[in-house]
Amino acid sequence: MALEIRDLHVAVEGKEILKGVNLVVERGATNALMGPNGSGKSTLSYTLMGHPKYEITRGKILLDGASLIEMTPDQRARHGLFLAMQYPVAVSGVTLYSFLHAATSAVRGYGERTPTATRGRLNSHLMPMREFRQELNEKMAFMEMDPAFLQRYLNEGFSGGEKKRAEILQMALLKPKIAILDETDSGLDIDALRLVSEGINTLQKDLNMGLLVITHYQRILNYIHPDVVHVFVDGRIVKTGDAKLVDVLEEQGYEWVRQGMG
Amino acid sequence: MIERLDESLPDIGVTPQTAQILAPGPKSVALLSDLYDEPDWMRQARHEAWQQYEAMDLPDPKEEAWRRTDLKAYPLDSLRVVLSARELDGIYDLPPCWDYALAPVDQVSGALVHCNGARTYAIMRRDDALSGVILEDLHIALKTHGDLIRGTWMRGATTRPGFNKFTALNAALWHGGTFIHVPAGVRVARPLQSLVALDAEGGTNLHHTLIIAEPGSRVTLIQDRVSQDSQPELNAEVVEIYAGAGAWVRYVSLQHWSEHRYSVTVQEARVAENANFVWVAGSLGGKMTKDFLRSDLVAEGARSMMAGFSFVHSDQHLDQSTYQHHRAPNTHSDLLYRNILKDQTRTVFYGMIRVEPEASGNTMAYQANNNLLLSDARAHAIPGLEILANDVRCSHGATVSRIDDEERFYLEARGLPKPEAQSLIAQGFIRPIIERMPLAHIRQRVEDEIAERFWL
Ligand SMILES: Nc1ncnc2c1ncn2[C@@H]1O[C@H](COP(=O)(O)OP(=O)(O)OP(=O)(O)O)[C@@H](O)[C@H]1O
Ligand SMILES: [Mg+2]
Repeated sequence: MALEIRDLHVAVEGKEILKGVNLVVERGATNALMGPNGSGKSTLSYTLMGHPKYEITRGKILLDGASLIEMTPDQRARHGLFLAMQYPVAVSGVTLYSFLHAATSAVRGYGERTPTATRGRLNSHLMPMREFRQELNEKMAFMEMDPAFLQRYLNEGFSGGEKKRAEILQMALLKPKIAILDETDSGLDIDALRLVSEGINTLQKDLNMGLLVITHYQRILNYIHPDVVHVFVDGRIVKTGDAKLVDVLEEQGYEWVRQGMG
Repeated sequence: MIERLDESLPDIGVTPQTAQILAPGPKSVALLSDLYDEPDWMRQARHEAWQQYEAMDLPDPKEEAWRRTDLKAYPLDSLRVVLSARELDGIYDLPPCWDYALAPVDQVSGALVHCNGARTYAIMRRDDALSGVILEDLHIALKTHGDLIRGTWMRGATTRPGFNKFTALNAALWHGGTFIHVPAGVRVARPLQSLVALDAEGGTNLHHTLIIAEPGSRVTLIQDRVSQDSQPELNAEVVEIYAGAGAWVRYVSLQHWSEHRYSVTVQEARVAENANFVWVAGSLGGKMTKDFLRSDLVAEGARSMMAGFSFVHSDQHLDQSTYQHHRAPNTHSDLLYRNILKDQTRTVFYGMIRVEPEASGNTMAYQANNNLLLSDARAHAIPGLEILANDVRCSHGATVSRIDDEERFYLEARGLPKPEAQSLIAQGFIRPIIERMPLAHIRQRVEDEIAERFWL
C-alpha cells in the first residue's frame, strides 16, 4: 500500500525537468523532500496529480499498484491522492462552501452529476447537506477557521496563511491515502504552523496517510517528524537519509550535496 | 396574512375551457377594446398604433442595432393573439414548472400570474394593500387607475409605439399586462412577483408591464417569463418603469422562453431626481432574442445599476442593446453584463452611454460586458460613447475569456470531473450578478436551472 514513483522523466514545453525520480511513499510514513529553488519539486507534485502541462516521457507512477498515469486528475483524487498546492488557485464566484460540498461529495462517491441525475432529484450527486454541514463545522473548528470563510469565494483574497489552512481543511474532508504537501509551511505564522502541523499529524494517524512533505525549512519538520528525508537536486533525488540529514542541510546548505555529487 | 383579491376577470366571453384566437388586424384591435371595455383614449391609442404598425417597415438590417440579428428568421407570419380565461382556484393549480418559478407566498408582498395573457392568479399582503400598493392586471388597472396610466402610456424613447414595428404591435394588440403602483413614501415590505406564462397554446406574447413608483417609495418586482411552445412563436413585449423622485426601485427581469420563441422586447426606466434604479436581467431561454434596455437619468442625483447575466446553449442567439442616458448633472450609471456561451451560440451586446451637455458636473457612467466562452461560440461587444458634457467620468470595457486551465485543474485535483469543474467555474462567473437578486428561492432556482442546462 504505497505511492511508487519509478524512473520518472518529465518535460515541460520540451525541456526536461525531472530526470529519473525514484521514490516510494508508504501508507502511514512521512517522507520529507528538500531541494533548492527550481530543482523540480513542484513539477513532481503537479505531475503526480496529473497536471496536463507536464509531459511524462518515461517512468511509472503507481498508487496501491494501480497506474495513475492514465488517470485524469479527478480520478487520481478519487483514488486517494491529494496535493496541497504551493500556490492555491483562486476561483471567483465559487464559494468555499459550495466547492467543499461538491468536492467532498465527488470524492466520497455520491455519484456523478448527469442529466438524468439532476432531472430525477435535484442535487442528488451531493452529500446530504445536514450531514456535510456537521462534519464541516467540526473540521473548521479543528482548523480554527472562521465559518465566515465559507461564504467567501474560493481562495480569493485569502492571505497566504489562510490559503494554506484552507488546503489542509480540504485534505481533512477528502481523507486521502497519500498527501503531497508542497510548501504548506510557507506563509504560516508560528502559531498557525503548529496548528496546521498538529492537524496533519492527527489526520495521518486517523487515516494511516502517507505523506510527502516538500519544504525548505526545518521548522515544519520539528512538528511533523519525517521517517525519511530526500534531497532533490536538478530533477532527481540525490541523497536519502533519516531526520538527521535535515540538520546537516540547515548547517551546510545544498552546496554540500552538490559537491558530494561532483 | 395573504388575501385573495376578489376582483374578477372582465367578461370577455371566453370560458375556462375555450380560447379564442385573434388574427392580427384592425378588427382584432377594436375587439380587444370591446372585450376589456376600454376607455376611449386607449381605444384610440390602439387604433393609431395599428396604423403605425401597418405603415412601418421592419427594422433595416443595415441599422447598427439590427446588423447582427436577422429578422428573416422570425416567425412574423404566425402572429396569434390568444384569449383565454383561466382563473385558477389557487396557486397549487399552476403547472409544477410554473409554480416552481414563484417564491413561497410568505416571502413576497404580492404575486400576479398571467397565463396565455389572462390574469389567472393574484394575491396581495393585506398590509401592503392597505397602504395602497397595487399589483394588478393592466386591463383591470385601466378602470381603476386610468388617468395615471394615460399620463405615462408609451412615451419613452424606446417605448413609444413608433420605436419599431414590435413596439407598435404591442401598443396595438397588447393583451395581458402587469401594473404596479406604489403611492408616495410607501415602502413595499417584500418583493412583488409577476409571472408571465404561456403554454403550448399561448401564441404571441404581447404582455405590457407598467411600474409607477411615486416619490420616496420603495419596491422590488421580480418578473419571470416561461413558455412551453410547440411551434415557433413571437414575443413583442414592453416594460415601462417610472422611478419618482427619491424612489428606490428594483426590477428583476428573468426569461426562460422555450427554444421556439423569437423575441423583441423593450424595457425602459425613467429615473427621477435622487431616485435609485436597480436592474437585474437574466436571460436563459429563447431561440433568438433582441432586447432594448434603457435607463434614462432625467434629473439630478438619479442613479441606475444595471446588471445582467445570461447562459445560452445549443444554437441560441441573444442580442442586447443597452442605453445609459444621462440628462442631468450628478447622475451615476453602472452596467455589468455577463454572458456564458455554450455550444454554437452567439451573443451581441451594443452598450451605449450618452451624456447630454446638461449632465455636466460629477456625472459617472461605467459599463462592462464580460463573456465566458465554453466552446467556439461567438460574442460580439460593441460599446458606444457619446459624451457631450464636461466633468464626466466614464469607462467601458468588454472582455471575452475562456475557462482558466489552472482554475479547472485545481478543482479537478479535488475530485471534480472536468464537466463539473467547468460548470462550477462558469456559474461562479455570473454569481456576482445572481447575488444581486433578492430571495434565496429565486437565486437557487436560477442556479439550479443553469446547472441543469450545463448538461444539456
Ligand atoms: N509550466 C512551466 N513552464 C515553463 N517552465 C516551467 C514550468 N513549470 C516549471 N518550470 C520550470 O521547471 C523548473 C522546476 O520548477 P519547479 O516549480 O518544479 O521548482 P521547485 O523545486 O518547486 O522550486 P521552488 O523551491 O522555488 O518551489 C524551473 O526552472 C521552472 O522554471
Ligand atoms: Mg515549488
